[in-house]
Amino acid sequence: MRQQTKQEALWRFGGYIFLLTITALMIIPIYWMIVAATIPQSEFFSWPPRLIPGLHYFENFQALQENVDFVRSIGNSLVIAVSYTVLSLILCSMAGFAFAKYEFRFKEPLFYFILATLVLPIQLLIIPLFLLMTQVGWTNSYIAVILPWAANPLGIFLMRQNMKAIPDALLESARMDGATEFQLYYKIALPTMIPSLAALAIILFLNQWQAFLYPLVILQEEAMFTIPIALAQLVGQQRVYFDQIMVATSLGIIPIFLMFIFLQQYFIKGILSGSVKQ
Amino acid sequence: MVLSTIQAKLRSSNAYRRVADQFRYRRQDVSAVVPEIPMLPQLYISPFFILFAVFLLFPTVYTLYLSFFNYLGASNEILLTARIGILEITIPQIADLEFVGLSNYQRLLFEDSLFHQSLFNTSFIFFIQVPLMVGLGLATALVLDAKFIRAKGLFRTIIALPVATGLVAYSTIFLLLFNGDIGLINYTLERIGIGTISWLGDAWWARITLVIAVTWRWLGYNMIILLSGLQTVPEQLYEAAEVDGATQWQKFRFVTLPQLRPVLLFVVVSSTIGTFQIFAEPYVITGGGPSNATITIVQYIYRQAFIQLNLGYASAVSVALVVLVSVMSIIQLRYGGAE
Repeated sequence: MRQQTKQEALWRFGGYIFLLTITALMIIPIYWMIVAATIPQSEFFSWPPRLIPGLHYFENFQALQENVDFVRSIGNSLVIAVSYTVLSLILCSMAGFAFAKYEFRFKEPLFYFILATLVLPIQLLIIPLFLLMTQVGWTNSYIAVILPWAANPLGIFLMRQNMKAIPDALLESARMDGATEFQLYYKIALPTMIPSLAALAIILFLNQWQAFLYPLVILQEEAMFTIPIALAQLVGQQRVYFDQIMVATSLGIIPIFLMFIFLQQYFIKGILSGSVKQ
Repeated sequence: MVLSTIQAKLRSSNAYRRVADQFRYRRQDVSAVVPEIPMLPQLYISPFFILFAVFLLFPTVYTLYLSFFNYLGASNEILLTARIGILEITIPQIADLEFVGLSNYQRLLFEDSLFHQSLFNTSFIFFIQVPLMVGLGLATALVLDAKFIRAKGLFRTIIALPVATGLVAYSTIFLLLFNGDIGLINYTLERIGIGTISWLGDAWWARITLVIAVTWRWLGYNMIILLSGLQTVPEQLYEAAEVDGATQWQKFRFVTLPQLRPVLLFVVVSSTIGTFQIFAEPYVITGGGPSNATITIVQYIYRQAFIQLNLGYASAVSVALVVLVSVMSIIQLRYGGAE
C-alpha cells in the first residue's frame, strides 16, 4: 500500500514538473512580446536584452496607429472573421447534416472528394482566385475574402462525423410529431451540435483571423487591410518596427483569447467527439 | 409542443448519451433517414457545393491546366504589383501561354535543384516536426487528463495561447528570440556558459529554429484535440484493466493507445498537411536562408509565381506538392488503420 502512494506521489511530482516546464516555454515568448510592446524602439537592441516591461505601450500604440490605421484594420478583421464564421457554420452544418443523415446518390464519392481537397495548399489557389475576383470586380472587398473559404472541407468533415451521433430514431419520432424536414435540421440537429459548432467556430475564426497570403493579394487598399496585412507592413526590408508589431499582436490576440475562454468547455467536448466513436 | 419536450430531453446530455449508446451498435444496420421531400439532401448540400465548386474546384482545375503551359510575359499586362514589407507580389494577366506539355514536370523532377532543396528542407522539418509535436502533444494531454492534476483549465489555456498569435506576429517574436546578437535565447545560453549559437546563420540551426517555432505555435492545438480524444475513452476500460492488475504502462499501451487511434491519426495527418504547407515562418524568420537552407516548397511556389512570374511552373510545383501530400496522407491512413 505504501509503495502505491509513493509511486503516485512520484507521478504527480513528475506531472507537475513537466506541465510547468511546457507552460513556461509557452509563456516566455508571450511575456517577451509584452515586454517588447512596452519599451521604446531605441532600447530594443540593447545588450543584455530588457526583461522587465516598460511604460511605453500607449506611445507605441500611437506610433503604430500613425504608421498604419490599426483601429480600422481591427474592424476589418472582425467584420471578415465574424461573417465568415457564421456563413461557414451554416453551410457546413447543413451539408454535414445531409451527409450524415440522408441517403442520396453519389453521397460517399462526393464526400470523399470534398475531403480530398484538404491537402490543397492555399497558395495553389491564389492565382486563379485572384484572376476570378478581378474578372468579377470584387478585389478590395470583404466578400472576396469571405466567400472562397466559406465552403470549408474540414468543417464539413467535423460536422458530418459529429452529426452521425444523432440517433435516427430521434429524427423519425420528431417527424412523426409533425416536424418539417427543415425543423429537423435547425431544431434537433443544431441544438444538439452546439459543442461541435463551438469547436468549429473557433477553428474557422482562427483561420480567418490569421489568414495571410490570400487577403494580402486581394486587399490592396490600406482601408481594407486586416490585422496580419497591417502587421506585414511593419516588417520592412530596412527596418522592422518590433515595438509596434508587438503592440498590434497583443491586441490581435485578445479576441481569440476571449473566444477560447468562453468556448473552451464546448471546444474540449465538441471537437472530434463524434469521429472518435467510430 | 412535442418538439420542445424532445429538445428538453436532449439538453440533459446523459439522456442523449444513453439514446446514442443504444443506437450506436444498430446504426450500421439501420438505413439513413429517408426524407419526405425528394432532392432534399441535395438542397442541403448545394450552397456548400456551389461555393466549393467555384472557389476550390475551379481554381484547382485551372492550376492543373496552367501547369502544362509556359507563361510568355512580354506582351502581357500586369494586373497587380504589391509590395508590403518584405513581401512582393506580382500577378500578370494570363493571356499568352505556350503549351509545353509535360516539360514543367520534367524540369521539376530532374533538373531543378532548388526545388529538390526545398523538398529536402520541408521533409527534414516534417520528419522532426511531426513526431516531436505529436509526442509532446500526447504527453501533455496525458498529464492534463490525469486525475491528480489541479488547475487544468489554467494549464490548458496557457499551452493553447500560442495558437492565438498570428503568423506574422509570432514569426517576428521568434525572429527576435533567435537573433544571434540581441536574442534572448543566445543571451540565456551565454549566461549559463554554453555560448552563443548562430541560429539563423547556420543551415542546420536555422532548420531547427523553424521546428521549434512551429512546435511552439501548434502544440496547444494538437494537445486540445488529443485531450478531447482522451476524455472519450470509457472509464470502465481502465477499471477493467486495473482489476486485471495492469501497470500504468500497460494501461496506456493496451487501453489508451488503441482507443485514441482515430484521433492520433487525425492529428498526424493534419500535422503532415500543415507541415508541408509551411510558408510564413521561413519567410519571416529565416527568409529562406542561409543560402536557401530553409526554403520550403510553398515558399518556392510563392517565389516562382509571384516574383519570377513563372505561373505555369509554379502551378506544376503546386500539383507536385498536392500529389506528395496526398500520397503521404493515404499511406498514413492505410497504416494507421482508418476506415
